[in-house]
Amino acid sequence: MPIIEVWATIRPVRAFNSAILATALIVIAACRQNREIAQPVTLVVSLTGDPGPLNPAVTTSGNTHPVTDQIFNGLVGLDESLQPVPELAESWRIEDSGRVYRFVLRKDVSWHDGRAFTSADVKFTFEEALLKYHSRTRAALTDLVSAIETPGPHEVVFRLKRPYGPLLQRLDVVEASIIPKHAFVGEDLLSGAPTRRPIGTGPFKFVSYAPADRVVLEKNASYFRRGLPGVDRLVFRIMPNAATSVAALEQGEIDYVGSVAGPDLERLRHTQGIAVVAGSGGSGGSICQDVLIPNLSRPPLGDVRVRRAIMAALDRPFVVDRVYFGQGRPATGPISHLLAWAYTPDVRQYPHDTAVAERWLDEAGLRRARGGERFAVTFTHANTQQRFAQAVREQLKGVGVTVNLQTLDFNAAVDRVFVKKDFDLGMASYCNGADPDIGVRRVYVSSNIGPLPFSNGAGYHNDRVDRLFDEAAELVDRESRRARYAQIQRILADEVPYFWIIDSEGLRAHRTAFEGFRLWTGALAETVHVTGQSR
Amino acid sequence: MKAVPTVFAARSGAAAIVAMAVLALVGREFVNGDPFAVAGPALAPPGGAHLFGTDDLGRDVFTGVIHGAALSLIVGFSAAALSAVIGLLVGGIAGAGEKRLDAALMRVTEFAQALPRFFLIVTLVSLFGGRLTLIVIALGLTAWPATARLFRAQVLSLKSREFVIAARAAGARDFTVLWRHALPIALPVLAAQMSFQAGGAILGEAGLSFLGLGDPNVMSWGTQLGAAQFFVREAWWMSVFPGLAVTLTVLACNLLAEGVTHRDRFSR
Amino acid sequence: MTALSIWRWVVRRLLLAFLVVCGMTILTFVLIHAAPGDPIYVLAGDGGTPSYYADMRAKYGLDRSVADQFVRYANAVGRADFGYSFMYQAPVTRVLGQHAPASLLLGVTALLIATVGGVGIGILTASRPHGVLDRVVRNVNVVAFSAPVFWTGQILIIVVAVQLRLLPAGGITSARDDLTGIAFVVDVARHLVLPAITLAMPFMAVVSGVSRAAVVDALSEPYILAASARGVPRRVLIWKHAAAIAAVPIVALVGEHAASVVAGGALTEALFGWPGLGYLVLHASLHRDYPLVTASFIVISSSVVLANAVTDLLCARLDPRIMLA
Repeated sequence: MPIIEVWATIRPVRAFNSAILATALIVIAACRQNREIAQPVTLVVSLTGDPGPLNPAVTTSGNTHPVTDQIFNGLVGLDESLQPVPELAESWRIEDSGRVYRFVLRKDVSWHDGRAFTSADVKFTFEEALLKYHSRTRAALTDLVSAIETPGPHEVVFRLKRPYGPLLQRLDVVEASIIPKHAFVGEDLLSGAPTRRPIGTGPFKFVSYAPADRVVLEKNASYFRRGLPGVDRLVFRIMPNAATSVAALEQGEIDYVGSVAGPDLERLRHTQGIAVVAGSGGSGGSICQDVLIPNLSRPPLGDVRVRRAIMAALDRPFVVDRVYFGQGRPATGPISHLLAWAYTPDVRQYPHDTAVAERWLDEAGLRRARGGERFAVTFTHANTQQRFAQAVREQLKGVGVTVNLQTLDFNAAVDRVFVKKDFDLGMASYCNGADPDIGVRRVYVSSNIGPLPFSNGAGYHNDRVDRLFDEAAELVDRESRRARYAQIQRILADEVPYFWIIDSEGLRAHRTAFEGFRLWTGALAETVHVTGQSR
Repeated sequence: MKAVPTVFAARSGAAAIVAMAVLALVGREFVNGDPFAVAGPALAPPGGAHLFGTDDLGRDVFTGVIHGAALSLIVGFSAAALSAVIGLLVGGIAGAGEKRLDAALMRVTEFAQALPRFFLIVTLVSLFGGRLTLIVIALGLTAWPATARLFRAQVLSLKSREFVIAARAAGARDFTVLWRHALPIALPVLAAQMSFQAGGAILGEAGLSFLGLGDPNVMSWGTQLGAAQFFVREAWWMSVFPGLAVTLTVLACNLLAEGVTHRDRFSR
Repeated sequence: MTALSIWRWVVRRLLLAFLVVCGMTILTFVLIHAAPGDPIYVLAGDGGTPSYYADMRAKYGLDRSVADQFVRYANAVGRADFGYSFMYQAPVTRVLGQHAPASLLLGVTALLIATVGGVGIGILTASRPHGVLDRVVRNVNVVAFSAPVFWTGQILIIVVAVQLRLLPAGGITSARDDLTGIAFVVDVARHLVLPAITLAMPFMAVVSGVSRAAVVDALSEPYILAASARGVPRRVLIWKHAAAIAAVPIVALVGEHAASVVAGGALTEALFGWPGLGYLVLHASLHRDYPLVTASFIVISSSVVLANAVTDLLCARLDPRIMLA
């Protein structure tokens, strides 16, 4: 401060005055720092795209759910080990070895417009919304659920046609948000008024939505969990450009970024006031793996020896490190290590070894031709996966497999690989979900071979695996299910129907001024509060 | 119309392009390696074995720039050539033909000029995939109206010249006369237009790659810039060198265009 | 200009506008339907069964034949009903209305900067041809015109927003605050500076080049030389008389390119995360949002036609020698 220095040199008395001035300024500056956490306490989160209609029971969109998961609740919540905890249901009983699920609902829950929450809302949500319009729930539960009964205003009974173990994992706010029956009377579920001004039971109430700009939520003062949420306002800023959101985080304009682009990670880790954390679940998809999909009906990919060789030729640690910036671990099989209770590492491994790969390819009868090439394949992928595709091309070239890249935009790539099945190699990010039955089964069972996106794209058919998946779904206790899944993993690692690349551990970043983010589920902000101030 | 030394501009522009072409062709032979191969540690700054540093996958940026040179020049001039051919045909026929044909073709030209060029190309590429041939065709197909107008004006102005009237009187067919005489006179302006459009096409291809819509099988400067946008803070060299390369090439095209017309290309 | 010629001109322009609208409707509709990729999978979520997708297709009206869809759409466009956006589940006109102001703001500001700055620089350099300023400006101009807009933008972001922290790195408003009134205007203005300058640079180079040439030409007009001989001060000569003569080609230039500057902000919008039409069209194409893409194209091309028409009118008024063709 030149003025103060000049002052100080003129007369000693001035030095004393300037000390007072300096102190005052420091105090003011400190107060300004705290002004960031001034009332009302606002948490600002970045969102990568417009959320569209805000009805979570009819969509799985990764842009809608981050917003709606804070406005609504599910029958249960999930804890860190993905076990169910009470939410709208305060207790439940599983009867008839998994054929009947009886829920007792909380009596102190009300909708944001003041009306009381009852079992009629649950029945309505399932029968009119989820089972008709929600892709995953409809696919999984339509043949399973024979009836949903409401013996009382706070009791719901699910009667199933056969025993089903993982039902509770499908009933959290991410998979089955409960919506209000009374609000949708006479309104269209996909485009009616409540999709623009949603009414939920959750920790935050909807205030406003300015398209391409922001969604504003405010604290629900009569939330049934006393003391929550810990912030007064929650603002979602729509920032499709990842670089802009990271810059905004660094400048203190936003408080939480759901996915940090690899290049920014190192810098953020070393930035004061910012914490980089690993998350596994969430509104956009839980526990995901990136997988290379071979078209098993196209030779030579139908030969298991060739596939094993390709697995060995792929340098997955390099890919995880360079292409994914360390946001994950090399995958060893169909279940991610993050789904800890079901995962087993005790399967056939394929460490990176080009010599072994070359030998296996020779043994499979695919010798190198004069130009060095053994065979060629086309890799159809989306333009967002370009860096990965280029890395794969180089690695396979090293063992004599020529990979031609065909880059299409995302929809066209999905169409080509899954619907038209006109591909050699494709790629997908398959999310396991909160239970293997939710997101793993659909990739490997023969009944899911068809022209549907993110189905069994390779066309893998193994009756034993099909049976094991069915058995695992019908059992209720985790131990016996775990044994079945272990067998599945062993068989699949042996047969390599897909090339598992990485178990994603998406890193997120937030300002250290806030803590309490729940990083394994969609209901991220329920327990967030200013650091050091839990209520 | 007085302008700063145009001969200098033309010469330097042409020299730069020729130099670049030579560099591109010869360079590919001498520069070791595949621009896609992992040549060293990721994000290494310029110096030592890597003149321009390495990118996020460890690929050598200098190799990429050299390989990109040939590609950019090819893309640029192919698109410009396509546009020139279409423009010449449309403009020539409109100018030399009878009034109604002229009017019809001019309507078509105006319509083509009203199309929002970049949006159209972005939509085309995002719908059908970023293949190089598609990009070149799309660029060429959206740039021809200006050339058509130019050539038509040329042809029209010739229609009333004495030697043309004389030739027609002597029995020569309209089309042949006009084309044989219009073309050589229009050549410098057309060459300039082509050069100018080549520059535009190079920028267009770079823009598409920046948006992630380019062709991933070839290493172009656009691809390098597209990858660089995520590393702008960690590795400035990934974006500075290819960006400079694009700028210099487009600059050369524009200088050439300016010089050849012997006047400031911008003026009317 | 006779009344008849004006009439003919108006009719011609209207005809063109109509043709453009028809053409764009057909073109984009054909393109999108020919492209691979079914929007239903984007709209309706993953993991569903075939019967589910069939139901959803019916709900969105995607199960009818292409010809049928086109007829319905064409009729709707005729009634100025552009339909419902798939992505936003809102009327397309509303979505466009929400994104257009951002693009207009950016485009018009960039145009203003380019015109005023360009003309100013052009006149300055014309007053001392071949001087130091002139040479420097000419070199900078050609480079500014040749450099890719997203590259110069990136460099501006690195230097101004990241290193110097003077201005925000992107977006249209501050993430945290909900400002109103003057504070809001100032906030938007701060966010507008970098993208507008980035977008303006290439065109500013053009404008300054043309202005310079036009003023130099004007200065050699006999009437100016005569005025100079009469002792009119040089400053007045340049800034008043020569500028007036030079106005016509400059206006023509600006008019001709105005539409493309505004429409060409797509790359700048993508770089700065500016929520305008460019960003909209890009995402709509990627999501196969037919109604939105088609409507965007129609709106943009019609604006181009309109802008060109306005320019022609302006030029005709300014210079009586130019006839409305």
